[in-house]
Amino acid sequence: MRIAAITGLHGASIRGRARADAGPLLLSALVVVLVSLLAGAVPGLMERTADEAVRDGVRRGGDAAKVIVSARFEPDDTLNGRARVPRLAQALDDLRLRAVDELGTDLQRMFRPPVASVISPSLKVTDGSVLRTFRMAYLSGGAGPEVVWSAGSAPAASGDETAEIDWYGPPWLVQVGVSETAAKQFGVRPGALLKLADERGNTRSAQVSGIFRAVDPADPVWAEAPWLLNPAAGADGIGTTRFGGLLSAESLPDARLAFPPDELKRTVSFAPDPAVLTWATAQSLKATVVTLQARSASSSTYDTASTWNTGLDSVLDEVTAQVETARVQASVLLAAIVAGAVLVLLLAADLLVRRRSPALVLARQRGASLTALGLELLAESAVLALAAAGAGCAAAILTTGGVAAGWVAPVLVTAVAAVPAYGILTAAAATRDRRSPANRSARRWARHTAVLRRAAAEATVVLAAGAAIVALHQRGLGSGLPVLAPTLAVLAGAVLLVRLLPPLTGLALRWAVRSRRPLAVFGTAQASAASGRALPVAALVTSVALATFALVTAATVERGLAGGAQETVGADVRVDLTEDTAASADETARRIAAAPGVTGVLTGHVTDSAQIVVDGKLTPARLMIVDSRAYTGTALQPDQALVRSATGALREGMTVEILQTGKPAVRLTASGSAPAIGGSAEVVIVDVAAGLPDPPNTLWVTGPGAVQATDGLTVVSRAELARSRRAAPLVSGLIWLTWAAAAFLLVAGLLGFALTAAAGAPARWLTVSRLRTLGLTPRQGRLVAAGELLPAAAAAAAGGTALGALVAAVTTGPLGLRLLTGQVGDPATALPWAGLAAVAALFLVTAPLLVRAEAALRRRQRLAEVLRVGGPA
Amino acid sequence: MTALVSVRGVHRRFGSGPSTVHALRGVSFDVEAGSMVALVGRSGSGKTTLLNVVGGLDRPDEGSVVVDGDEVTGLGEDGLSRLRREKVSYVFQTFGLIPVLSAAENVGAPLRLARTPAADREKRVALLLELVGLSGHAAQRPGEMSGGQQQRVAIARALAASPRLLIADEPTGQLDAETGRSVMALLRAVVESEGVTALVSTHDPVMMALADRVIRISDGQVDA
Ligand SMILES: Nc1ncnc2c1ncn2[C@@H]1O[C@H](COP(=O)(O)OP(=O)(O)OP(=O)(O)O)[C@@H](O)[C@H]1O
Ligand SMILES: [Mg+2]
Repeated sequence: MRIAAITGLHGASIRGRARADAGPLLLSALVVVLVSLLAGAVPGLMERTADEAVRDGVRRGGDAAKVIVSARFEPDDTLNGRARVPRLAQALDDLRLRAVDELGTDLQRMFRPPVASVISPSLKVTDGSVLRTFRMAYLSGGAGPEVVWSAGSAPAASGDETAEIDWYGPPWLVQVGVSETAAKQFGVRPGALLKLADERGNTRSAQVSGIFRAVDPADPVWAEAPWLLNPAAGADGIGTTRFGGLLSAESLPDARLAFPPDELKRTVSFAPDPAVLTWATAQSLKATVVTLQARSASSSTYDTASTWNTGLDSVLDEVTAQVETARVQASVLLAAIVAGAVLVLLLAADLLVRRRSPALVLARQRGASLTALGLELLAESAVLALAAAGAGCAAAILTTGGVAAGWVAPVLVTAVAAVPAYGILTAAAATRDRRSPANRSARRWARHTAVLRRAAAEATVVLAAGAAIVALHQRGLGSGLPVLAPTLAVLAGAVLLVRLLPPLTGLALRWAVRSRRPLAVFGTAQASAASGRALPVAALVTSVALATFALVTAATVERGLAGGAQETVGADVRVDLTEDTAASADETARRIAAAPGVTGVLTGHVTDSAQIVVDGKLTPARLMIVDSRAYTGTALQPDQALVRSATGALREGMTVEILQTGKPAVRLTASGSAPAIGGSAEVVIVDVAAGLPDPPNTLWVTGPGAVQATDGLTVVSRAELARSRRAAPLVSGLIWLTWAAAAFLLVAGLLGFALTAAAGAPARWLTVSRLRTLGLTPRQGRLVAAGELLPAAAAAAAGGTALGALVAAVTTGPLGLRLLTGQVGDPATALPWAGLAAVAALFLVTAPLLVRAEAALRRRQRLAEVLRVGGPA
Repeated sequence: MTALVSVRGVHRRFGSGPSTVHALRGVSFDVEAGSMVALVGRSGSGKTTLLNVVGGLDRPDEGSVVVDGDEVTGLGEDGLSRLRREKVSYVFQTFGLIPVLSAAENVGAPLRLARTPAADREKRVALLLELVGLSGHAAQRPGEMSGGQQQRVAIARALAASPRLLIADEPTGQLDAETGRSVMALLRAVVESEGVTALVSTHDPVMMALADRVIRISDGQVDA
């Protein structure tokens, strides 16, 4: 009450007025609640999705995400040869313990139990016609790997435990175990001798001691050398199969002697555990890993010190880039939401102050100071806005655990300050000397400064928008100005539209005055008068344009996801044939082609990282050997290839050399660019006629029945892939936010329209009543009233949607949406015509609906009453 | 002479319960065609209410009003609209012009509603503006004119469609005495020249002197 005494604040009158204006007040509060909830929820959402994205990224990163520690064994050279060191398994274990120790207990928690291994270089199998490579591996991790010997026995030492060998002695024999699958595929039995040779043709020999079966093939230990269990195709070259032999602690020392010194190294590999990784821990993990890597690199290469290596930092860098992009993309949408909210709040404040202006003017005339009036209005709006923001933020914290003060602040400030500011301006204007300056030049000067002030404000918006768009295009999406580019561009467009509208309605009026229809004149006159009010039109156009921007972005992402899936899969369904199904590929293709709903089947051979040499540099690329005419529409000559490169390594006109194991390289000319298919950075498409070995390992199936027809095979379905990508945390979070922004901005636009209509209603219906005293029927009166709302509605429907679509088209490229859609390039802007038409129709239909509602509210009022309260014109 | 307006036993009450205001209590009178009648009475006596009922802007609770053979009290909204278009026009204390239209367009509005051909309309508007002495102000908007000028535009507009009855509620109420008198004189002159019947409420003794007849009303009843 002391405050009331000092400032003249009057609690009862504040409450009374608040009750009278419940509508606009509640609406403002609702807008504040919604924005603080939305803006508040986003950081929390982003944080959660960032955690998910880190896990997802690490999972997808596979081997690249592992931290590998390697070290030599102690030297084994003697005076004239090498000595067999029996306790090599122990030495490997030592390395594991040392690595765990170096990693530290904190970081250990983020990894699965490490797997220690010794893996030999690749050897060629010299008998038989099939190209096969063979490696030996010793694995140790946790309890495993546990195996059951179904024939023969575990590898044992092949001779004397402490033998010494001569430098130039015969190849040392090693005992290995072979998996059941491998044994069957290559027809080996226990006791069989494998004839092997290294790259230089030196012979090596291994003896199969037994045939084993993994107790748990899913044991992560096997992931270090999956070819031990299942022979794998492809990776060593086109048409080769690699398999391997399992070493035991006893045969490991023999393996070392079978290879030149230091060719067998100790390796400990740590696979990050996605379950315990978060965005925050990933950052500290990255830092530590980088340090360990840097420190180990500086140690001498000729001792047994451990070397740390990992791609985890780049995997995390990639995820970080994605999360940052997503964050900035979210900021773009938040900026739009905040802009829409601020404009609606301004309209609500305008309406409120208009309604109260008689009371304010009266209070002012009775001697209330502007400060007192302002404080009274401030008290009311502050209580309401703070309560609303508090509720919204609390809800945001409860649901997502975060709140974004930075985004809520502008909305809160507007909600608190707009009503008092307008109120003071209104009260001050009412009591200021109304007459314009007597001196004509002074009058002109006053008019000029007002015009200049407005032009300067508009120029500022347009320049800021231009700068933001240029920054966006030059620097790409980053925090700061580029984030505001779409919003500023829309605001600038709205400002220009607002400028354009009065001349347009003026033209319409000039036409209407000549027309013979009385309603045309009155309606257009109302329209022309209303089009001069800048704020409502600007607010409406901005909300609709930003909503359209969000809708177009959502549509672009949706279509981009479909396009990205098409790029990756290349058809409705891609069938990846396995070793045992590949043999019957043609047969399978025929069967699928005959199935109902299948319109096409193509076979081809795909090698994921084929060894391609361009410009004398080895450039791993995805090699596709296909019937080029059926696949791409253009028939390739045998010496031609199509290329596509995200890095620019492959270009048209280059000579592309494809390396093959055991055969001369094939040289081709890159004659054109490959379609965006394959979802890989580097793609080379070659016709079957090029003469590369091409046992089909892939089928592309198109048609509505493709999924059904390929049931039971290993397939990648385009629809399924698009669905799963859409469900990825960052993508689904952003798509959700995009739709939420579109919905919010549409609602904001409609609210803004209703507020504008309400603010103009008293004057509008007074005019309609006056026209009715001249003989206008009630229906005609409603049409004239609708005429007044039409410019804003039309500007929103036509100008707003067009502006939004235009801004989206200009900005989608640099928004980096390809990170969401999984496309190699940026998606093309997709215009959802039906949606845009619906938005336009919504606003055009709202105008007559609002008029109907207003008329219904005034139905019981007689003309006499309206005219009695209406003041002088 | 025959009665153009005939008011019989009109009652009008506002509100309900104990706060009911009985604004008109059985008002009856006739207005002869071609005459100018002044309606006088103290503030709150019911002048505005009576004029609104006569002109069909308000409906009486009891009684009947007949204007030029039309039973006003029995007309629906469309009938009333036609009545206003063809027979009755109004001049308000607060002028009641359409702010977004120029003086000429305001005057021409009733003619547009009557679908008068453009050439005739323009001729008539020019004539009326000349009649009210505003030929030079045709393009001005109401906001750009003085009160007296606005009221003269309003009178011109009221006469545009050649109505039978012109109802004016305190047409000089917002004007200073001098301007008021000139507007009054104008009204009297146009009643003569256009041959309309006028029912004008006023506090102004000058107006009473100009009228053919004065009807006094007090507390919702016509004084004998
Ligand atoms: N809409 C209304 N609701 C309630 N009371 C009303 C209404 N209109 C008029 N009245 C009351 O009816 C009575 C007559 O009012 P009216 O406006 O007709 O008086 P008046 O003679 O025109 O007065 P003045 O000379 O001040 O214009 C007054 O007591 C007024 O308060
Ligand atoms: Mg009155």
